[in-house]
Amino acid sequence: MGRTTVRRTRGRGAAALAVVVPLLLTGVAACGSGSGGGGAATITFVWWGSEGRANLTQKAVELFQQKNPDIKVQTSFSAYAAYWEKLATQTAGGKPPDVLNVDSRYLAEYGGRNVLADLNSGAGKAISLADVNPELAATGVYQGKRYAVPWAQNTPAMIYDPAAFTAAGADPAKGLTWDQYAEAARKAGTAGSARGVTDFGILDTTLEIWLRQQGKQFYTSDGKLGFTADDLRRYWELASKFRDTKAASPADVTASYNTSPEQSPLGKKLTSSEFAYDNLLPAYRKANGKPLNVAPYPSGANGGTGQYRRPSMFLAVAARSRQQEAAAKLVDFLINDPEVGRIVGTDRGLAPNLKVRAQLAGEAKGNDKTLYDYEAALEPKLGAAPPVPPKGAGAIQKLLQRTYEEVAFGRMSIDDAVSRFMTEAEKGLS
Amino acid sequence: MTTLRTPDPPVAPVAPARVRRRERPGGRRRKSQPEAFAFLAPWLLGAVALTVGPMVVSLYLSFTDYDLFTTPKWVGFGNFAHMFTGDDRYLQSVEVTLIYVLVSVPLKLTVSLLVAMLLNTRRGGTGFYRAAFYAPSLLGASVAAALVWRALFMGGGPVNEVLAFLGWHTPSWVDDPRFSLASIVLLGVWQFGAPMVIFLAGLKQIPAELHEAAAIDGAGAFRRFRHITLPVLSPVIFFNLVMEAIHAFQAFTPAFVIGGGRGGPADADLFYTLYLFEVGFQDFRMGYASAMAWVLLVVIAIVTAIVFRTAKLWVFYDDAEARK
Repeated sequence: MGRTTVRRTRGRGAAALAVVVPLLLTGVAACGSGSGGGGAATITFVWWGSEGRANLTQKAVELFQQKNPDIKVQTSFSAYAAYWEKLATQTAGGKPPDVLNVDSRYLAEYGGRNVLADLNSGAGKAISLADVNPELAATGVYQGKRYAVPWAQNTPAMIYDPAAFTAAGADPAKGLTWDQYAEAARKAGTAGSARGVTDFGILDTTLEIWLRQQGKQFYTSDGKLGFTADDLRRYWELASKFRDTKAASPADVTASYNTSPEQSPLGKKLTSSEFAYDNLLPAYRKANGKPLNVAPYPSGANGGTGQYRRPSMFLAVAARSRQQEAAAKLVDFLINDPEVGRIVGTDRGLAPNLKVRAQLAGEAKGNDKTLYDYEAALEPKLGAAPPVPPKGAGAIQKLLQRTYEEVAFGRMSIDDAVSRFMTEAEKGLS
Repeated sequence: MTTLRTPDPPVAPVAPARVRRRERPGGRRRKSQPEAFAFLAPWLLGAVALTVGPMVVSLYLSFTDYDLFTTPKWVGFGNFAHMFTGDDRYLQSVEVTLIYVLVSVPLKLTVSLLVAMLLNTRRGGTGFYRAAFYAPSLLGASVAAALVWRALFMGGGPVNEVLAFLGWHTPSWVDDPRFSLASIVLLGVWQFGAPMVIFLAGLKQIPAELHEAAAIDGAGAFRRFRHITLPVLSPVIFFNLVMEAIHAFQAFTPAFVIGGGRGGPADADLFYTLYLFEVGFQDFRMGYASAMAWVLLVVIAIVTAIVFRTAKLWVFYDDAEARK
């Protein structure tokens, strides 16, 4: 594949040309097949996630097609990283999907470059946000334009093994301070084969929450870093203290972390807790096999958890879509239809529509009930969501992971890693 | 389907003597030209539209700041300058790739030649062994092979367990920057089947009399290898060296899969093509990625040219011997 990749990479810009030229020469282009005549519209809809999520989403799409027989929806999905690579390619080729999922890390990237339609105008106005929490709804607005609507709400959380922490004399569900957490994780980490926590020095979400606990933010509203080198140094010193006391995972286990619960140290039973998002609890339970639970973050200096209503995933419409009305109809259906809420459950997080959510909360069982109870208890403490991360935010997470790994493997001092991070991050965001 | 028609070139009047000399080949060429172009057209179209065209476009893009979504802006040699002055990760990717080429290529060639010599005997079961050794290279740079490799060398994987049983406790090979590149080199070397088959074919060409004569003159196995096998085999070694070096420069899939899609722990597996891919498709800097691709192309061309130049010193051809 090595050879083809290089060639393909070089050729991407001319992909359209490459397709068009032979067609012109053979005289095929003129008849323009595939534009789908007649009144019916065909739209494409893509998302990221697992097989299980795909089955749920497909059911919701089928219901939409039943209720809108003149609209046909073609779906596809991929894992998170592959999703963005594919989307970038399709977009560059001038053929983005009509309806797509967007992550807040990439909202500025795609919205700011006019790939996404402004839903405040045109067909997007058909999408109702009347029953969505206004603070949550506001997270899809970037530079005054509504590029996306939240499809679900989740919140950062600690997923943990209750047995291990009870044995260590702590109950994360009741809320811990960072000091109490460090102590409990150390005890849990030295008692059994699993360390207390997956090293969180690599996680931008955890850094963000920790910063919010000190009244700071990851990104400012004008797209710069909202913290100083000193803040990052203190964060990495905290993480390193966990690692040095065997509370947190060793460097090679930390380096094996990727975003899927199945592949993560907690999922592989190498640690007893991990910072993630609450809606991933069922996937973690399945991978780990133990009755894991979900708890708020350890509290910081101001006593708060720093957590907020997070749009776990956005729905957006491509600016180039020729079927904006049908696309908007699908988006509205997915966020407001009570039946969809029942079908997709808490797989992506809580339903964005508060009426639907209240109804589902009453009926919830099992994993769903755990999540509804957790978020209901947390609701009064949740703060306002941070501003949309700037262009380049997707690369910042990888930069954080990379530079912290240098620290964890003992190849670089914290100070050197901090200055490398700050220099590269500022370059990447400018 | 229409065809590309090229008008026949004007035929210049020529002197009778020259006509006689060139009559047959010249005449045939002229007559079959339209048909030749008709048969050539699909390939020509493909080559122009899918290879030459994109290459020209990417050359243009390498001088711009193209981000995939907005109109490219001309930045001159900015991309190329940035590579060598302002981009530590680029230099890291160059280093990783050079180490990989310099370690894996000689190792792979050595192993494949040794195994080919072992298999070049008339003992029972060589057919089976040839197939068995060739099979891994059929997998090529497949994702499946890389996934298996990752599973073998990860923490708690078979390699870890066996080494621990022998008393050597290692961390996860693929997740530790000290071992991660080594595990990818091993995968590359393990897939030595393709050069091995070519070596086998070359070994078959060596006349048995040469070895017999040398043996009668009292040359031991090592001397025969040094003074017969290697010189006669040198054109094959040359071919394998060029091919494997080019392959190694372009290694992508193993690093992508084993390095978790991000260049491995602390960038230890950040191969050139991997960084190029990341810059282009994850960071949306397609102009910079195009520039990187062209630098790689030029470097491979230079390295190949150097190998060709040095070939005069150590590659022996039969006809060259005959001409002396």
